[in-house]
Amino acid sequence: MMSGQEAVLSANAARVVYNEDSDAPVEAVRSITLDLRRGEILALVGPSGCGKTTLFNAIAGLIPLQGGTVEVGGTQVEKANGHVGYMLQKDLLLPWRTVIENVTLGLEIRGRHKAEARRIALDLIRRYGLAGFENSKPSGLSGGMRQRVALMRTLAFEPEVILLDEPFSALDFQTRILLQADVKRIIREQEKSVILITHDIGEAISMANRIVVLTNRPATVKTIHEVPWGGEETDPLTIRDLPDYQHMFSAIWQELELAPH
Amino acid sequence: MGAEADPSSPDALRTGVENRKPAGRRRRFRTGRLHILACQIALLLGILALWQLGLTLGWLKPYVYGTPLGVIKSFAEHIADGTLLRHFWVTGQEVVMGFVIGCGFGSFAGLLLWLSPLWAKILHPYMIALNGVPKIALAPLIIVWFGLGMESKVAIAAIITFIVAFLQAYKGTQQVDPDLIRLMKSLGATPWQTFRKIVVPGSVPWIVSALRLNVGFALIGAVVGEYISAEEGLGYMVYYAGQLYDLNTVWVGILSLMIMALILEAVVARIEQFLDMEV
Repeated sequence: MMSGQEAVLSANAARVVYNEDSDAPVEAVRSITLDLRRGEILALVGPSGCGKTTLFNAIAGLIPLQGGTVEVGGTQVEKANGHVGYMLQKDLLLPWRTVIENVTLGLEIRGRHKAEARRIALDLIRRYGLAGFENSKPSGLSGGMRQRVALMRTLAFEPEVILLDEPFSALDFQTRILLQADVKRIIREQEKSVILITHDIGEAISMANRIVVLTNRPATVKTIHEVPWGGEETDPLTIRDLPDYQHMFSAIWQELELAPH
Repeated sequence: MGAEADPSSPDALRTGVENRKPAGRRRRFRTGRLHILACQIALLLGILALWQLGLTLGWLKPYVYGTPLGVIKSFAEHIADGTLLRHFWVTGQEVVMGFVIGCGFGSFAGLLLWLSPLWAKILHPYMIALNGVPKIALAPLIIVWFGLGMESKVAIAAIITFIVAFLQAYKGTQQVDPDLIRLMKSLGATPWQTFRKIVVPGSVPWIVSALRLNVGFALIGAVVGEYISAEEGLGYMVYYAGQLYDLNTVWVGILSLMIMALILEAVVARIEQFLDMEV
């Protein structure tokens, strides 16, 4: 459960500009340099619209960089090829597929054998509290369970890095807290390296090993906070009661360049 | 009427399954259905009675409106000499063949267009034009191209249903959540994989709603084709009887078309159920 110092992903002066060749180019990400260490959860917080999702798209290889590099597992990202797993606010489950068929989606695309894919999926489903729902359609599940299925789908094809783009923000408060704890535990058990986008500072502090604060658009790295209890404490609710929690919360709050309302 | 006639229908189709009544209420539901059936029959009898009353009191002229008894008589005659069945069979074939060809190729082409955004862009204004034009206006052209036989009626039904199925299927592909396509890309999926696993199944509700619309369009296509030029078929029967002011026979033809529509609707409902289960 130790976070090694070895970087599984590193961005080096990554820059994204939309419509670069037009008269009105939009600089979404100015320069991002950061490392994701193996086995850690790295939270990205920043004002809304600051280019977090753009950065994710670039890391996943969905959009090209206009400068700098992103390396995953030592290889430079040039196009999307399943090196990262993606999980969004929307669960994006396919309504016509059962839970198990949704979980096997990524494995199918990678050309794994059907029986093998089902075995992997079934194992995850049973281990993480969805036993009995293997053959249900997503429409019969609660929001929290649906997000859990989405996480299983992401874990199933074993990407090197998992990107979580505000995965809890559509859930009600209680479900969110419970799912945060679950996801944190599952990620640690599976020894995954994760980047978590969130606008919820509390979520960042209670889930992450380190927190990266981004500036307003065009995004750059403002500060990086090491969370003192790091990987040891796993329960987000317990963390919220720690004395350091409040300090860290207000420190990050002040760093965020929130637009005046 | 165009392909856009009922944009909400796919959702309506989807939720249909979940709205099933719990078992305990089944009995009351049954009685309710019987009541409704009784009212439906009463409505029909009421219309017939009013019709007859109007004729008896001299408000309606029999040679303009026909008579209920005359319709029954004409129906019996046309059954007895086999002409009604023959006309029904001819029109039925035209409608079904046109429907199958049009829906099949139309849905297929509409789906495939997703694979080429360039072609979709090129075809865009044509699609809008086709969507807006009253498709039946093409009928005289098609008769010129395909001749006076059954082929031309099949062709009219097929071309009209093709357009509707094509537009609906393409529209279905455009409703697929872009985030879902982004997810597939991030998984390293090829466009063909995304097409097969996401776009096609995601478009099924739209294709099914096109089937619904196309029952009507296939009937219109075949019947109008027969109006223009034919020697058999229910459209021919109605048109010919109308020319002779034999309105009882016109009614027989119209009622036969209604029966055909009901049969086709029932078949499409079955297909719909099947696809809903599969997808």
